[in-house]
Amino acid sequence: MMKPIIVEHGTMGRVAYARISPNEDLVRGIEKVCLAQGFRNAFVRGALGSLVDASLTIKSDGSKILVKGPAVEVVSIAGEVRTDGDNAISATLSGVVADTDGTVNGGAFIPGGNTICMTFEVTLEEWLPADHAA
Amino acid sequence: MLRNSQSDERARAMAHPGRFNPIRIQSEHSDTAGHFRVVLQPGKSLHDALVHPLRQVGVTSASTTVLGGVFSYLEYCVAPPDPRKEAVIRYSDPIIAGASYLVFGNATLGRSSEDNPMVHCHAAVRREDGVVMGGHIIPEKTIVGTDPISVLVTSFEGFELRQMYDPETNIPLFQPVASI
Repeated sequence: MMKPIIVEHGTMGRVAYARISPNEDLVRGIEKVCLAQGFRNAFVRGALGSLVDASLTIKSDGSKILVKGPAVEVVSIAGEVRTDGDNAISATLSGVVADTDGTVNGGAFIPGGNTICMTFEVTLEEWLPADHAA
Repeated sequence: MLRNSQSDERARAMAHPGRFNPIRIQSEHSDTAGHFRVVLQPGKSLHDALVHPLRQVGVTSASTTVLGGVFSYLEYCVAPPDPRKEAVIRYSDPIIAGASYLVFGNATLGRSSEDNPMVHCHAAVRREDGVVMGGHIIPEKTIVGTDPISVLVTSFEGFELRQMYDPETNIPLFQPVASI
């Protein structure tokens, strides 16, 4: 069995900016940006935009918090995109959102549950692990 | 019936007023990113404190993270449904937050439809009344407090951000375009 990597050494590569259109899913959309740009691994360096509703989780059981819009503004996101040994790509995104009254909420964005409302701007910086084979 | 089971639920979407663009993701990349640290100067607007120093180093398109700090005055707005139905949502009238602590936020720098520098900023703020809120910050009206505030800038090369009319949503918004 492969030993899990605890510390990964690497460098930053290319930087991509994307505007994702309405009615696309936020998490899947960011994964598609990586596919379009050929990034296997990336970190989110900036993200702002709006969602129809926000579907977040704060628990490992997958239970949902639904923040009703439209629109729910995304204030900021911390996150990464990883490609595994089977070439499956997955974005893990955690962030702060504000509803139509400005009330804030936060959690992990659930794939398939966060439809973009007007636009979503995201900046991704490619992560190039140096010792992946170790 | 399986179709109605909870696992088959789909997230709500919107019917936008205009013709849709078959290209759902507009993206551009630079081979390397430029990184800058900008210190927002006291008394200046968020817009000027970001735009002017970056222009001096030749940066006109960038993605930035505004680290926490005190603003002597802050205005923001939220995004409820458009009562005029011209778009699915419309920014509310400005809400005066007063002297506020900006917890953190993201700001994108590009060029407006009129070819002026434009900053699009979303942030979480603790308002003067103590309530923590989030929304779209109005950079021209928001004034840096007595202490400077750090901003991490990731700049783009080979493409730029331009505010252009988007027929689908019927509003102008930032889109990446390759530099000529």
